[in-house]
Amino acid sequence: MPGLEYLIDALTPINLAFALLGVIAGTVIGAIPGLTATMSVAVLVPLTFAMPTSSALILMGAIYTGAIYGGAYSAILLNTPGTPSAIATTFDGYPLAKKGEGNFAITIACLASVTGGLIGAVALLTLAPPLSKVALAFGPVEYFWLAIFGLTLIAALAEGSLLKGIAGGALGLLLSCIGVAEVAGDVRLTFGFHTMLGGIQIVVALIGLYCIPVLIDLVAAPGHHLNVVTGASGYRLRDAVRYLWGDKFNAMRSSVIGTIVGILPGAGGSIASLVAYSEARRTARPGQIYGKGEPGGIVASESANNATVGGGFIPTLVLGIPGTPPDAVILGALLVQGVRTGPSLFTQQGDIVYTFIWGLILATILMLPTGLLIGRYAYRTIITLPKSLLVPTIAFMTIIGSYAISNNINDVLIMIVLGAGGWVLARFGFTPSPIVLGLILGPIAESGFVQAWTIGTATDDRMGMFFGRPISIAIILFTLFTLLSPIVLKRLKRIKEQAHVD
Amino acid sequence: MSTEARKDTGGAIVAAILIGVACLVLWDTTSYVDSDSAVFPRTFSGVLITASAAYIVVWLFGRGEQLSITESGSTIRRLLLITIMIAGTLAMPWIGFIPASLPVFAALTLVAMYDPWTKFRLIVYPIIGTAIVLGFYYLFSKALLVPLPTAELF
Repeated sequence: MPGLEYLIDALTPINLAFALLGVIAGTVIGAIPGLTATMSVAVLVPLTFAMPTSSALILMGAIYTGAIYGGAYSAILLNTPGTPSAIATTFDGYPLAKKGEGNFAITIACLASVTGGLIGAVALLTLAPPLSKVALAFGPVEYFWLAIFGLTLIAALAEGSLLKGIAGGALGLLLSCIGVAEVAGDVRLTFGFHTMLGGIQIVVALIGLYCIPVLIDLVAAPGHHLNVVTGASGYRLRDAVRYLWGDKFNAMRSSVIGTIVGILPGAGGSIASLVAYSEARRTARPGQIYGKGEPGGIVASESANNATVGGGFIPTLVLGIPGTPPDAVILGALLVQGVRTGPSLFTQQGDIVYTFIWGLILATILMLPTGLLIGRYAYRTIITLPKSLLVPTIAFMTIIGSYAISNNINDVLIMIVLGAGGWVLARFGFTPSPIVLGLILGPIAESGFVQAWTIGTATDDRMGMFFGRPISIAIILFTLFTLLSPIVLKRLKRIKEQAHVD
Repeated sequence: MSTEARKDTGGAIVAAILIGVACLVLWDTTSYVDSDSAVFPRTFSGVLITASAAYIVVWLFGRGEQLSITESGSTIRRLLLITIMIAGTLAMPWIGFIPASLPVFAALTLVAMYDPWTKFRLIVYPIIGTAIVLGFYYLFSKALLVPLPTAELF
């Protein structure tokens, strides 16, 4: 294995302490809606300037991986993804918690996150230079189609009508246009309101559309937030290990998907977890009902999103192109430290990069005990806290969390209005997931779309630009398959049933 | 056209409203100086109009898909929750973060309270509420260095 000699460097007490501290801090921060992995890494960057480079990298990597896992807590216990990459975790995590299996769901999420994180980190250790070429194969039009693929996936996966899902995704894309246009600088869709000039922040929408509807329903009726199954207390580690072993192909496949999607700059954990979830649902065994509290959904989502951590570091370290926003912050910190990223990094500064990768692997392993402990504490807090304290606490967290994104009161107002609007839309079958994903993918989709449109216009070959490139064609075929397969399967099932009756 | 009872009329109304939103977006794009700013919103307004109109057609044929959400609970408490959150947020820049947050926390506790007020709850809940508000204040303002709103009035 490359760089094995640097394992000892990663195992020094100071590096281990940084890894443990980073994982704990990241997990707690990721669990609080509004505090993102990017923000937590960014806040700590100035502290790392005085540290040895590899220790600083280990601390930032540990925070990042912990925060991605921490997002699962609020997704499972509050139906609110702590980070955008935990959106797919809500599909089965919250229904499972509602059934009284919250502790089992959290343990499964922890095991899946560790599995995904390790596979992503091992890919970074062994395959970084060849895999980084994948990132270079994607041009603007491919990113546009990838964003559209992500949207069709969520439209097809979200509960209810496919048409409503597509409409929700399109609405999310339009909401992402609010504010000053990145491409040409026009002020769009503000209708004279200065409040809207900054646009809608993704995390603000995430908190509003997921958390406020839960609060609105929580406050309306007495009764517990989550059911508690008597006799099923504790970590339920044995049950979770047994389940994960039975679902190992799902975990492995999702981790590989997460690693590959993580390599693509900008795509990130939200697309990775959705693609993995979609694959898990497509290949479901008889008796597995996804969307109703199937632990396999949590396995797919959580292993994929944690695998993006290692995957995202591949283009960051090899090409100097950050795979995800936290990678961009870490890249900035590396430049300040005088580290030059690029293909030669692994040979010329192997001591730094391999110590960091081993540190990331150790941090991921440390996530198992810390994640289980913090998860159990979070679960017990949520089920024992009376509703009269739970509601104001969550409401208060949503306010301070959305304010902290850009220190702006307008963001809090937008969050509350979006949340109330989202609650009304959900009553009529327009679920929040496509809208939020539209907002997340909007900037990537628009940038790719406008660039491809401009090049296509200049070369007088718009159709060829959008539909003529091999990777684009493959993504378009996947998109059509995602959209049409449920309709075709439904039709085939009906024909089969009709034939059976006849 | 099917005479089957039309399910999900609410969903069809929302679809019609979304068509209106898309038309509003199309109108807004006419004022942009650079055509590059308009091409993306115009394209996806078209997608929104197509998907919403298709859903209305599906609904007209009696094939609307209604989610099984049973409406229950107190509407007044729901409205109070939103009103208190908005009022507290608007008050923050004027009276400061902590003076606005403590009454918001207290009011929301009252709105979410379904159990009888015992002496224990009367003493312990305000203490817990204050501790949570102050705890988050210190986490954000001191540890994470977020500049929380200060009072403009005083």
